[in-house]
Amino acid sequence: MTFVNQIINGLHVGSIYALIALGYTMVYGIVKLINFAHGDIIMVGSYTAMVIMTELTGLPLWVGLLIAMLAAMLVCTTFGVVIERVAYKPLRNTQRIAALITAIGVSLLLQNIAQLIFSPNSLPFPVAIRVPPVAIGEMTISFITLLTITVSVLLMLGLQAFVHKTKIGKAMRAVSEDRDAAQLMGINVSTTISVTFAIGSALAAMGAVLYSTAYPIIIPTMGAMPGLKAFIAAVLGGIGVLPGAMLGGFLMGVAESLTNGYISSQWGDAVVFGILIVVLLVKPSGILGRRTSEKV
Amino acid sequence: MKKKVRSYIINIVALVLLYSLAMYLIGNGTIGRYYMGIILTAGISVVMAVSLNLTTGILGQLALGHAGFMAVGAYAAALFTIHIGTEPQAIFPISLLVGGLVAAVFGLVIGVPALRLKGDYLAIITLGFGEVIRILITNLEFTGGARTLRGIPRVTTFSYVFVMVVLVVAVMFTLGRSRHGRAILSIREDEVAAEASGIPTTYYKIFAFTLSAFFAGMAGGLFAHYVGVLDPKNFGFIRSIDYLVMVVLGGMGSITGAVGAAIVLTALPELLRGFSDYRMLVYSVMLILMMLFRPSGLLGTKEFSLTALIDWVLRRKPEAEIEAVEAEQVFATRHKPALLEARDLGIQFGGLKALDSFELTIEPGEIVGLIGPNGAGKTTVFNLLTNVYVPTFGSIELEGKSVVGLPTHEITQVGIARTFQNIRLFKNLSVLDNVKIAYHNQMQTTPVEGTFRLPRHWREERLANARARELLHVFGMGEMAAKDAKNLPYGQQRKLEIARALATNPKLLLLDEPAAGMNPTETQELMDTIRLIRDSFGVAILLIEHDMRLVMGICERLVVLDYGQIIATGTPDEVRSNPKVIGAYLGA
Repeated sequence: MTFVNQIINGLHVGSIYALIALGYTMVYGIVKLINFAHGDIIMVGSYTAMVIMTELTGLPLWVGLLIAMLAAMLVCTTFGVVIERVAYKPLRNTQRIAALITAIGVSLLLQNIAQLIFSPNSLPFPVAIRVPPVAIGEMTISFITLLTITVSVLLMLGLQAFVHKTKIGKAMRAVSEDRDAAQLMGINVSTTISVTFAIGSALAAMGAVLYSTAYPIIIPTMGAMPGLKAFIAAVLGGIGVLPGAMLGGFLMGVAESLTNGYISSQWGDAVVFGILIVVLLVKPSGILGRRTSEKV
Repeated sequence: MKKKVRSYIINIVALVLLYSLAMYLIGNGTIGRYYMGIILTAGISVVMAVSLNLTTGILGQLALGHAGFMAVGAYAAALFTIHIGTEPQAIFPISLLVGGLVAAVFGLVIGVPALRLKGDYLAIITLGFGEVIRILITNLEFTGGARTLRGIPRVTTFSYVFVMVVLVVAVMFTLGRSRHGRAILSIREDEVAAEASGIPTTYYKIFAFTLSAFFAGMAGGLFAHYVGVLDPKNFGFIRSIDYLVMVVLGGMGSITGAVGAAIVLTALPELLRGFSDYRMLVYSVMLILMMLFRPSGLLGTKEFSLTALIDWVLRRKPEAEIEAVEAEQVFATRHKPALLEARDLGIQFGGLKALDSFELTIEPGEIVGLIGPNGAGKTTVFNLLTNVYVPTFGSIELEGKSVVGLPTHEITQVGIARTFQNIRLFKNLSVLDNVKIAYHNQMQTTPVEGTFRLPRHWREERLANARARELLHVFGMGEMAAKDAKNLPYGQQRKLEIARALATNPKLLLLDEPAAGMNPTETQELMDTIRLIRDSFGVAILLIEHDMRLVMGICERLVVLDYGQIIATGTPDEVRSNPKVIGAYLGA
């Protein structure tokens, strides 16, 4: 594996982390909650896609994948919105730690439901795309890698435009800045928060399908690790800042891939957490984050 | 005192009974291996939850890496036992201590950098450290790595766990109710106000965090010698979360709540073993429902008290805690009042000079007013004098000694106390405790003396109580000592803040808009109080105020600020007729 290949691998994983990190960062930006259940939304997305693809055996594989992806987005969006309404909304005005614990509860609940339905054992994810690798000059890049990076970048650009150019995007920015003031300006805060969860979950569904295509084994607890890493990516880039989540995701992916390639795969996670600690100590608000200080 | 003794006796008798009962049941075989396992696990969980409660519930800092300290303690204790070799039974207590100490060292090394962060960032960095510890253990040779560490003598017995639980809980209660415990609580309530009341907040954060790691390490030692095999996978992020759930479910800050929740949450999944497929499902649903319907946890911040329960059962009225007030003056020996000199003081935020060439001299016992339109830089002056902001240029001297760059709590110690524009009380603590926290630096009880309640602890507590009550009495708040600060009416809250500032024994008192939001009667009372403070406590006062009746009525000298510059100084009459001042206020 050449250095360039390692970088490209890193961008591949990194773009998936970035997609998931966007969900964390949007939710944190708007309700100041570390949504621990976000990782498990990935799991929900993967299982949904798997079920659809095993059911739709008659169709060409890529059509199946497309339908599976849409279905996963639909299911995840529903889950995200319902979870927010049922489990987080009632706690919006209490201590923040109560919502954090509820999020942990939801995470456990999703994992256990999946265990009951699909058993705790791992299942193979049907690999849909068998396209030969693309050759660029002397090196070859697998089609999945290319697809993942392209899709992620497009989605991120789309999200950025959505948040900055549309009315609901403006509402989202307003609510994250000051919920009470936004309400006084006639913005429906609950709807805005629901939309935020919906978008975050839809992106997680995309991330889930792309992740499972890359690592085609799914188990009920599969969301924990990519979820945690995506979360770190969000913190790294500056939590609450959309471009920060993308930057953080790519950096995490590349750092992990280089460690795996040149040091040892056992130390990959240590490097990831090490970077997190250093960034928090040097610039706690993250690479692109804004500094805030308390007024006395 | 009598009440305390009664309480000690009740608790000791209860513990002895509980222990004897357990030993009897173990002896006759009623508690078999299976139940013993649950009991030991529950006991270890109690130690973990209670120690985490110190960081998260009492100090108020969210930590997500507590299992990391448990892991460090477990491996340190286990390796110690294994390498010393002979007589594991005999050296077990030392192993536990080694586990605790090594974990405490980790706590210190991690705490020093990490505790500079707050809230979610602290949570994330502790998560990071916890994971790094786990990964290190997995990849190092001498820990057995991912192949697990085997052959640890299984010497953890019920007695060890029982003693450990009692020890940790007792220390939490005694230390928690000493001046050190109050200092830690004050940080949870309001860090800025704690610092302004003379509490070295950084020291106490690290102290509490390290102590918490120490106990987690001891729990780890118990765990290692109970299971006999250590696998780094056991100490992941999820385990930290498990303990956090116990703390939150029990009620953040409630020690007995943490004990109860740890027992219930350890025993519950075991009892549900009958429907093993659904038990984790039930557990997660219960967790969500608990939080939705009781977000403050089972006990909230309350504590379960056996003594109170017995009193209630016997329908006895709890004895009012009347303590002999000895008027001896051990602390609060008043020194000669201040002389403050600020020269050419200024601060720049980016391109904005919030304050420039500020000059101020305050003579002993003077009452000086600092006035000016909104945004003139008045509160900035206070923030510079107490080093909440560091001045860009200029000097501040108190009695000829520079105070620039001293941490806020040290400035309080040398004699400058302040109140805040938007009241910053320790809201969930009693009125009495609010004042007692400010006596922190005038007391000498060490953590050890506080934990074991040695004579100095009692002597100083009695005095602090007496002096705090006396002070509250001066402010006409004697009746409210037991109320939570958050339940006071607004005017009383302002007064309490002044009382708290006075309790630090200042030479100079800075009052930031003391009359804001008060009605004319309350303002009149306040004027009397301020004069009283100067006359009977001999304190010089610098006050910011918009209420001109108050300013003109009590200040001997005024300094007028506008756009960060002094535009006038002099007696109230001189300032009143100064055309620049009139211009600044009326826009001429």
